[in-house]
Amino acid sequence: MTEQAIFPEMGEEIVRAEGLRKTFTLSRKQQKIEKTGITRKTAVDGLSFSAYRGQIYGLLGPNGAGKTTTLRILSTLIRPDAGDAFVCGCSVLKEPQKVRDKIGFMTSELKLDGFFTPDYLFRFFGEMHGVDKDTIEKRKTELFSRFGIDKFAQVRVKDLSTGMKQKISLVVSIVHDPDVIIFDEPTNGLDVLTAKVVTDFLAELKNMGKSIILSTHIFSLVEKLCDRVSIIIDGKSVADGTLEDICAGDTLESKFFEIYKNVKGDEL
Amino acid sequence: MKLLALMKKEFHRFFHDPRLIITMLIPGLLIFCIYSILGSALWGEDETGYSFHVYVSGESALGTMVEEVVGDGWKMTPAEDIEAAKKQVEEGEATALVVFSEDFDEKMANYTPASGESAPAIVIYYNAADEGSLAFYQLATTAFDLYEQQISNKFNIVPHNYATDTDIVTSMMSGLLPFLVVIFIFSACMSVTLESVAGEKERGTLATILITSARRSDVALGKIIPLSCISAIGATSSFLGVILSLPKLMGMSIGGFMTSFGFVSYLALFLLILSVVPLIVSLVSVVSTYARSVKEASAYTSVVMILTMVLSIVSAFISGIGDWIVVVPVLNAVVCMQSILTGSMMIWQTFVSVGVNLVYTALLVFAISKMFSSERIMFGS
Repeated sequence: MTEQAIFPEMGEEIVRAEGLRKTFTLSRKQQKIEKTGITRKTAVDGLSFSAYRGQIYGLLGPNGAGKTTTLRILSTLIRPDAGDAFVCGCSVLKEPQKVRDKIGFMTSELKLDGFFTPDYLFRFFGEMHGVDKDTIEKRKTELFSRFGIDKFAQVRVKDLSTGMKQKISLVVSIVHDPDVIIFDEPTNGLDVLTAKVVTDFLAELKNMGKSIILSTHIFSLVEKLCDRVSIIIDGKSVADGTLEDICAGDTLESKFFEIYKNVKGDEL
Repeated sequence: MKLLALMKKEFHRFFHDPRLIITMLIPGLLIFCIYSILGSALWGEDETGYSFHVYVSGESALGTMVEEVVGDGWKMTPAEDIEAAKKQVEEGEATALVVFSEDFDEKMANYTPASGESAPAIVIYYNAADEGSLAFYQLATTAFDLYEQQISNKFNIVPHNYATDTDIVTSMMSGLLPFLVVIFIFSACMSVTLESVAGEKERGTLATILITSARRSDVALGKIIPLSCISAIGATSSFLGVILSLPKLMGMSIGGFMTSFGFVSYLALFLLILSVVPLIVSLVSVVSTYARSVKEASAYTSVVMILTMVLSIVSAFISGIGDWIVVVPVLNAVVCMQSILTGSMMIWQTFVSVGVNLVYTALLVFAISKMFSSERIMFGS
């Protein structure tokens, strides 16, 4: 499917995952740790969902549920064993380069070279995304000022605080003003002040009409930001919809554990 | 534009880090110093470094002979007052006093041992506690002894002892130099490529580049081209270190050594080096991309380097290798360089070797871009 589907009641469908499946080979060491003789582990198991323009879509689940794997498939870093995903109508399997042009991906696994300054990195990644010099300078002034990076623009990244590094990663990931922004655990490891700056910015991006997909295990973040959410357990989507639909008057936390108990039994 | 940005980043990374620049250039300097010192020790060049102030009493053609052996440092002053000259030697103010007996040359020419007369004498006053004086004494007596041997048995003299030694060293160095060049290139490539590829992969900064819309081939070329240029600087530094110090090691003058090879030979050497640098950079990049850490990449690369070293030295010293060697990467350059240094260069062999190495480089770049797309290699899953 390469054409954009239109759902008038929800807006334009901008990301769609269709039956994504991803398995990984377990090494002997991993088998020992997980006390299993199984050689392959299913990280994502037939996952499907849709995200719409101008909305924030959350993937909520415990560690190892398959959230990060799903986001890495969407960002074309890894390929699904089965299924496909479409970003702005482009297939992650068939048109990965086009997909990469349309997304901004931020995860703690992707690092910036500490040798360079924020100023250099912003220009470099702008050029890597094919942005012209004037636009790079304009966006740099805007975003550096918005996040207080301007004072540290010429300081090497390795000499900056963790919070500042996270802010630089954030602005670098959106240097090309992408339509779709994918955040893997956006507030992980951040102090409360930086976490607030990031969450406020996500809301701001949404208001600007950007579409955001984020993964998290923090209930409050989903409640505060997400329009729609998918609860993922063992690589499967066990609940998908608006917060109101899923919670049905209950809190998200209560609902999550209720669903979790239904899926996994008493295992917590 | 993206390729340009990637290349600029690699150059920026290198040229803004003084430690990397020093690391790259210092081997050449060290090679020059070590080889020069080694050469001086081997050929006794230190002795010519002394400034000899020698008093000479009496006249003889042997004085001129010593002057030729000693070189520029020789300053010969006729000794007007022998006792004063002796005192100066004793006090270290003069290097030595050489006294030729009266009518030395004539008496020497007419002298026959059977005559029963005492032979004309050369008396050398020197100070063994003074390094310069001792050096002069050794040098002068060696020269006189050699001459004495010639005149006493002139038809049986073999006057090419030094020349024979030089030939042996020249032959040895012709075999060793290509091997050394390959090792220097390998070292230069290793130091920058491991850090730039395996280091970036280990730190997660390479994945950040892969998430952009740049083509994998651009990312691969964006590494290989600048790293090759940087490695070429290091390799050239080491190469110059060898070329400039080799004459000293071989007891020749730099000018004489340089002119013994023509422009075409130098051009061929340069082209061969230029073809080997990107090939080794690509090879180390493949290994670095495959490895999960710099440590692992270093271990793999060391194995490749040892293998290359062994094959290079073997092919450098085996004579009569067939033309098939031109299709073997790196080794083709070793054999061609050896041919150039021994004066038996074949132009077709050089150009084919350069072309073959560039083809291998292109194949390796293609392999790297494929590896960048492999999640098993890049993300170890």
